[in-house]
Amino acid sequence: MIDLSNEAVEIVNPVINESLRTGDFYDDDEDVCVDVKNVSVMFNLSRNREDGLKEYFINMIKGKVGYDEFWALRNVSLKVHKGDAIALIGRNGSGKSTLLKTIAGIIKPTRGTVEVTGTIAPLIEMSGGFDRSLSARENIFLVGAMHGHTRKYMKKRFDEIIEFAELEKFVDVPIKNYSSGMIARLGFAVATCVNADIIIADEVLAVGDAQFRMKCESRIQEMLKGGTTILYVSHSAAQVKKLCRTAVWLDKGCVVDIGSAGDMCDRYMQSIKKESED
Amino acid sequence: MLGKKIDEFMYYVPFLKEVIKRDFKKKYYKSVLGVAWSMLSPLLMMIVITIIFSTIFKRNIPYYPSYWLGGNLLFAFVMDGTNGAMNSVIHNASLIKKMKIPNYFFCISSVTQHFITMLFSLVPYFLVSIIIGVPFNPYMFLIFFPIILAYIFTIGLGMFLCAYGTFLRDLNYLYNIFRRVWLYVTPIFYPIDIIPENYRFMFELNPLYIYISIFRDFAMNGKMPSERMLIVATFYSILTLILGIVTFKEKEDRFFLYI
Repeated sequence: MIDLSNEAVEIVNPVINESLRTGDFYDDDEDVCVDVKNVSVMFNLSRNREDGLKEYFINMIKGKVGYDEFWALRNVSLKVHKGDAIALIGRNGSGKSTLLKTIAGIIKPTRGTVEVTGTIAPLIEMSGGFDRSLSARENIFLVGAMHGHTRKYMKKRFDEIIEFAELEKFVDVPIKNYSSGMIARLGFAVATCVNADIIIADEVLAVGDAQFRMKCESRIQEMLKGGTTILYVSHSAAQVKKLCRTAVWLDKGCVVDIGSAGDMCDRYMQSIKKESED
Repeated sequence: MLGKKIDEFMYYVPFLKEVIKRDFKKKYYKSVLGVAWSMLSPLLMMIVITIIFSTIFKRNIPYYPSYWLGGNLLFAFVMDGTNGAMNSVIHNASLIKKMKIPNYFFCISSVTQHFITMLFSLVPYFLVSIIIGVPFNPYMFLIFFPIILAYIFTIGLGMFLCAYGTFLRDLNYLYNIFRRVWLYVTPIFYPIDIIPENYRFMFELNPLYIYISIFRDFAMNGKMPSERMLIVATFYSILTLILGIVTFKEKEDRFFLYI
């Protein structure tokens, strides 16, 4: 029923097997906290969006209730160990965000399974679940509650969050009036303060200024030492090399390779150079 | 399996509280009287309705203002609650796309928000009842039975509507018309006596009529409703809830493709 192109399978399998054999990154299975097994995610690219009943029936009669299938992820397997920092690299549309969302449990994979041990704080598109019409104060309690924390607990962490985000003056301003940098700062501060076991950071550090980036990096280092796992998407090779030991290179929804961050970044940059030369 | 579901539910209870708080805040954003509107608006409406209809139905219905208020209280809750729940997933799309929160929580929070509004409007109900001299009776304490049943019914119906409404936005318009019809076939502003005896069984198919008449029996008439009525009411609530949960569960995995 579901037809994965042969090409995809060919690319994925040998590589996974190879890295399994080398044993560099899969030395033991005991403290695996994210286990992605043969995950494929399909989206329907609606040819004509049937938002209306009339259109729906017209199309049904014409036999056109159909979609173009789009596989955002094809047969991806990945294991993340506790305390690891893993970067996902690849071009726009290679499936990085989809993979993160699948791991975070926001998207259910069409095929395959995702097993996660521990709690996840997803920071997707900068803000992890903020409501733009609420103030920073209210958002902190709201997002805290999404992680199962009561108001009482969040009150204890409140000052720490605001101080880290440097938003003392704007606590009661609705965040729709914030700049993107301010939202990103708040998002990062909250996500790192809710005591999650795994943090998913999708492009969060891209908008902050240099000073805040450094602050975030040292916070991430600190958390890694404390045993937090970080899944990280960035287009900055320098940042990836600095923060992560391992990198996963994705292209067109397939895993091209998994390996050390430096190695992967270099090969990825090379491939881009080659492509643009062609 | 069930234990796991309960754990999950308990984990998100603080979230439920926060979202309800947020919705209240948004609903009465920049309004001077705020939550007081949930008490004022039924009162104002009651005055209008009483002026219009009490002359028509005067001989049939004693304590007409209470009669209407009590019926309207439950009816408005079920209508607003189901409508809110139907759109809850669409309204919270930005959140659902970024956080892992069980989708049904948005239905529950929406219904609960309207439920709390209804609890507020119990205050003017009892004030009016005291003023117009509805005699006190011990059955009044049992009004929470039909209210809870209506709550369960609303969650069930709301989840059912949400499961389909998320895919097919037209359902909104259809349901709008359906709600108007529902209002006319439920004896809220008119007495059931005006319906000929042989057609009344049709009204008993309407769960809202049953909840409302149980409520009125307890709160106004001071008597125990018939056993059959109570059993049918419970049956409707539980059946609707099961229907809602089953439909929702079947559809929710594909929500993220449509929001």
